[in-house]
Amino acid sequence: MRRAALVAGGAVLLAWPLLVPRYFVFLTSLIVVNAIVAIGLNLLSGYTNQLSFGHAGFFAVGAYVAAVLTVREPALPVVLTLALAGLATALVGLALGVPCLRLEGLYLAMATLAFGFVVVEAILNLDWLTRGNDGLAVPVARLGPLALASDAAKYYLVLAVGALMVAAAVNIARTRTGRALLAIRESEIAAQASGVHLAAYKTLAFAVSAFYTGVAGGLFAFVVGFISPDAFDVFLSVDFVAMIIVGGLGSIPGSILGAAVITLLYDWLAAFQNYRPLFFGLILIGCMLFMPGGIASRVPRRTPPAR
Amino acid sequence: MTTAALIHVVVSGLATGSIYALMAIALVIIYNATRTLNFAQGEMLMISTFVGWAAWEALALPLVVVLLVAVAAAALLAWAIEWAVIRRAISATHFDVLIITLGLSLVLRAAAGLVWTHDQFPFPSFFDNRPLVLGPVRVAPVSLGIIGGSLGLMLALGALFRWTRLGRAMRAVAQNQRAARLMGISVERVYSASWVLAGVVGAIAGVLIAPVVFLSSSMGLVVINGFTAAVLGGFGSMPGAVVGGMLLGVLENLAPLWLPAGIKHSVPFLLMIAILMIRPSGVLGRARQRKV
Repeated sequence: MRRAALVAGGAVLLAWPLLVPRYFVFLTSLIVVNAIVAIGLNLLSGYTNQLSFGHAGFFAVGAYVAAVLTVREPALPVVLTLALAGLATALVGLALGVPCLRLEGLYLAMATLAFGFVVVEAILNLDWLTRGNDGLAVPVARLGPLALASDAAKYYLVLAVGALMVAAAVNIARTRTGRALLAIRESEIAAQASGVHLAAYKTLAFAVSAFYTGVAGGLFAFVVGFISPDAFDVFLSVDFVAMIIVGGLGSIPGSILGAAVITLLYDWLAAFQNYRPLFFGLILIGCMLFMPGGIASRVPRRTPPAR
Repeated sequence: MTTAALIHVVVSGLATGSIYALMAIALVIIYNATRTLNFAQGEMLMISTFVGWAAWEALALPLVVVLLVAVAAAALLAWAIEWAVIRRAISATHFDVLIITLGLSLVLRAAAGLVWTHDQFPFPSFFDNRPLVLGPVRVAPVSLGIIGGSLGLMLALGALFRWTRLGRAMRAVAQNQRAARLMGISVERVYSASWVLAGVVGAIAGVLIAPVVFLSSSMGLVVINGFTAAVLGGFGSMPGAVVGGMLLGVLENLAPLWLPAGIKHSVPFLLMIAILMIRPSGVLGRARQRKV
């Protein structure tokens, strides 16, 4: 039953560009990109309870690394570009994560918030590399002889990378590492007492989360084709947080659902720019007051979660 | 650089620093009562300043009355938010309340934009525009006014915490909620009073700073500098908030003299990251012991 549903879903996703107009293909690509970020953020915030308000910063680092690499070396295969974008962002994540080990709760939220602002300022000031406020046009991604120029081609790239990232996250969550991260969320002291190396796992969560977000940033650069610093402001970080809150903290299907809900809402409310933050704010408050587990907690599970 | 110019820079730094200090105090008041961070503090400041401005526009009231209107609006707004939203989540984790105040800040900002648009408006000032000339030194009266007004408010708050029944109750709740409850203090009333007090401090800060930075829906972003100031001084400490605010204001104004111009906006954030890494308990704070 479950396998059949997965196969059917996969088939629909593969045939998607043949079924719907171009704009929806683009929109679906965005949903997948955001879902990758949401999974990355959830591994950090949902699994280890380290709240980050700076993921737009990681997203920007990934996007700019991918864009600059492609501008300088247009022949580089896109898979390599994305991997490099992810690794570079993971390094930034380590640089932020290691000192942040000393911080918890509010302090961590504030440090990551500050990080997001610093990244945008850095992009503005490194204008010889990033063209600052003018933004950067991203060349077409290439995979050997193939140029991924059409919306459908970009969609398949995003879908393939997304599927890989989801599979990897499910594996992380199910294994020893995932259980260790969940244990840290429930109680750091109890986890430590049970032999979970706190510092190592928290740092790991930071690096993996940054890697996911960096790869997604790279994909975003290719999908949209143009990036500028104002796209990565603090409100984007808030949107990412909203995705995992709506979807459900500590749930991978929840991350994907949350990303889909927020991305679609964003699109539908495009004509009502001024009302958008109003809706998003109300959603955040409503979720916290009435549905703290997000959508994922409202879906009945057939099997009890691994404990 | 001449000494006179340096004095000018430091004084205007102290003026912005006073505003940061007031923001930090407002955050610390709520933090001490409920152990949560109020992300919506900046937006509460913005809304109450807007209400005061609307009253001034409509009725041409004297400035003192405008200030009172802003303060009353802030008190009402803070009380309503605490009663309608925060109290319902009081059993939730701090993480949840943080997200709720984040949502509130989005809602308040959007609401202000809908009512008053996202434009900038000039705000009437208590103070003269002409600079005060003392020998070679030139100082803007508005800077001195902001510093004086803020210091007065801080002293009043200090007195409130030290000598009044409410202040003692608030300090007791900050130290140990259960013990405070056992001593017959209504902890809920302290929560509510803390929100109102924080709202009022924010409103006064808003009316003081609005003539300098203009009134706009985005002026609530000053809350981030307030966080930095509070962290600099050691989150939870009132004197720390004052010192942190002043320090931040002066450093922010001095940094562009020696560092590249583009870096001015990053100063509060770099400073916050640096202080969190080096000394998370802040300049005046004491490291907290964690009990298992």
